[in-house]
Amino acid sequence: MIYTKKSPALLIIGVLMLCWGWLNTGGMVDGMQSWLQRSAYSDHLKVKEKFEAELRVATEVAKAEGKPAPQMSMPKSKFDKAKAGQARLAYIFGSAFVLFGLIVLAWRPKEGNVDYYLSVVPGFAFVFSIACAVRWWLDPVFANWGAMVKSSGTLSWDFAKIFNLNYVVLGIVIGIVIANVTRIPAWAASGVRTARLFLKTGVILLGALYSATELAQLGALSVVMIGIFVLGSVWLVLIMGRRMEAGNSMTGILSAGVGVCGVSAAVAAAPVVQARPIDIAYTIGTILLWGVGCMFIFPTIGQMFGMGPVQFGAWAGTGILNSAQVAGAALAYDPTGIETLKVAEIFNITRVLFLPIIVVWLAAWYVKHEEGAERVALGEVLYSKFPVFVIGFLLMFLLSSTGMFTPAGHYQGKYFSGEQVKEDNLLRPKELRALEASLPVVKEAVQAQALKELIEKRKLSSRAQDDSLKYVARLKELDPLAKAAIEKASKAAWHDSRIIGAFRDWLAWLFSIGLTGLGMQITAKTIKQAGGKPLIIGGIVGTIKAVGSLIVVLLFVREFV
Amino acid sequence: MKPPRILLLGHHGTPGAARAEALAFEVALPGVTTVVHALVVPDFWDGMQGDDWLNNASTRDDFARHLEGQIAAETRQQIEVLKARCAARGLGYQSLVAFGDPAEKLLAMAQESGAELVVIGPPRAKGEPGYRSRMKLETLAQGLACPLLIAR
Repeated sequence: MIYTKKSPALLIIGVLMLCWGWLNTGGMVDGMQSWLQRSAYSDHLKVKEKFEAELRVATEVAKAEGKPAPQMSMPKSKFDKAKAGQARLAYIFGSAFVLFGLIVLAWRPKEGNVDYYLSVVPGFAFVFSIACAVRWWLDPVFANWGAMVKSSGTLSWDFAKIFNLNYVVLGIVIGIVIANVTRIPAWAASGVRTARLFLKTGVILLGALYSATELAQLGALSVVMIGIFVLGSVWLVLIMGRRMEAGNSMTGILSAGVGVCGVSAAVAAAPVVQARPIDIAYTIGTILLWGVGCMFIFPTIGQMFGMGPVQFGAWAGTGILNSAQVAGAALAYDPTGIETLKVAEIFNITRVLFLPIIVVWLAAWYVKHEEGAERVALGEVLYSKFPVFVIGFLLMFLLSSTGMFTPAGHYQGKYFSGEQVKEDNLLRPKELRALEASLPVVKEAVQAQALKELIEKRKLSSRAQDDSLKYVARLKELDPLAKAAIEKASKAAWHDSRIIGAFRDWLAWLFSIGLTGLGMQITAKTIKQAGGKPLIIGGIVGTIKAVGSLIVVLLFVREFV
Repeated sequence: MKPPRILLLGHHGTPGAARAEALAFEVALPGVTTVVHALVVPDFWDGMQGDDWLNNASTRDDFARHLEGQIAAETRQQIEVLKARCAARGLGYQSLVAFGDPAEKLLAMAQESGAELVVIGPPRAKGEPGYRSRMKLETLAQGLACPLLIAR
């Protein structure tokens, strides 16, 4: 079979990307970019103003001293860096796509590996270009619209923030729309399927961003939460399935899907419980319906409860049935930072580590309850279902723990030490006054103490203090200047290396591409299959799991990492 | 109405298909009519791995093989059953299997077999077990070059 489809599409995508790079380099889209990148542009104006003032003073001084006017160049603003970043990516990928586009057009494909790997490039370019369009244009457009609608008084709330209309959600939605309305073009089909590779790579890279303490604490929390809710929901589905006479195959596949990690678990369990096509269709349809719904509902509920990254990550990682939507919801909730994603992915990894055990359990359960069922080699099931990418994640964590990617002492909180913080990064009198005025708002003794210490020392002194102040920063009654001061102090205490900074950026891209591509694999035809007893049982157990885990998280989980 | 020589019967083992089968047997004439059994495996199966991304490639392959095997077994069973019923009534039998959109594939099968009459079951009633893969009746009715009978 020949996979590569002759089409000029890849070449066109490449040329368009090169054009975008050229337009940015030449400053021809600065007007549009200044509207899209509002915050960066406002930084640009400040930098420009400061530079012009400095230049004026320097010129006057030089003139007074009879020297020639000094040659000064304006420092790069966030706006310049953002444009340069877009241009760099557009040039790199645009050139590659043009090159491969020409090869696709000129080469006569023959069956084999070259054909297969080449066929992947147009699909990747398709997904990548959508991810770029969403991150560079749609995301800021929606953010601006939300803010404009709110400031005009049409709505009293920011619809883009409330509905989390950021690059993650928009990417998935566009992926779903393309798959169901316009259909994935034949030339892109092979490449779109590689989306899962980007998500796995993202998770592996994420391994470099955990400290040992974080991993230990989050790992323990996830084992407890997942242990209770996964085993609990698998058990509940098995009980309900037998009571409702859903059949052993259907009950088996549904318990894996609802209990462990959604479609992935259903796919892994289907062969061992000899699931019939109707069982598979009903179950996977139900899980996808539930998962897509949760991805939109969970972040909004999280905002309503004012959850922090640990709380929301733990809740999404436990309560959302489908693992792809866990990552989607975490990024939708916290698109600029990746703290929530870090928590949610630990839960995802714990779930996937539970998967082989649950599949073995279901295999044994099925053999026991189904007459004439074939026995399966349990050891082989355990071995074949082990998620290999988790090893990559652990490897990156180990490398990171050796200090390979971070400045020395980063995870030990080097910058909590007084000597390491520059005067510029210490809080100023105006900020200290705002913090003092905010003290009555803080009710919790520990948080009030943390705030007092911050006022006294003008900087953070410990990780625990930072954790306490994260709560304070989320208080609705808090003065914006006080909030900004807390964020500034936290930023001064945490220094990321260039490599870690780059990892964060790559992660955002990997998840953005991966989730957009996965969106293209969610079809309405599959979701429409949701029905029968799986819909009833899945609906009941899924609701119990989501509400139960929300209650547990709100009552017992604190932002302690 | 003259008994058709080639009768295309859309049949995939549902209660509606059973009604279509009964209707087809009413209009078919033993020794004259050949029943062409049209079995369309709907294209929603394409998306059945959904957004799974956690599994290894081997697990996904196992799943795909299992699902294909199950669908193939169901298809074979339906073919055997209808073939036996046609034989018992002295009717000729032929089967055509395709994967894709039911209406489009049925149109292609009608053309390929030279069908003089197409018989299908009624749209699945709400609550009745089965897949949600509705036949686009308008596409079918407009595209067919022969009469279409829909069982009640």
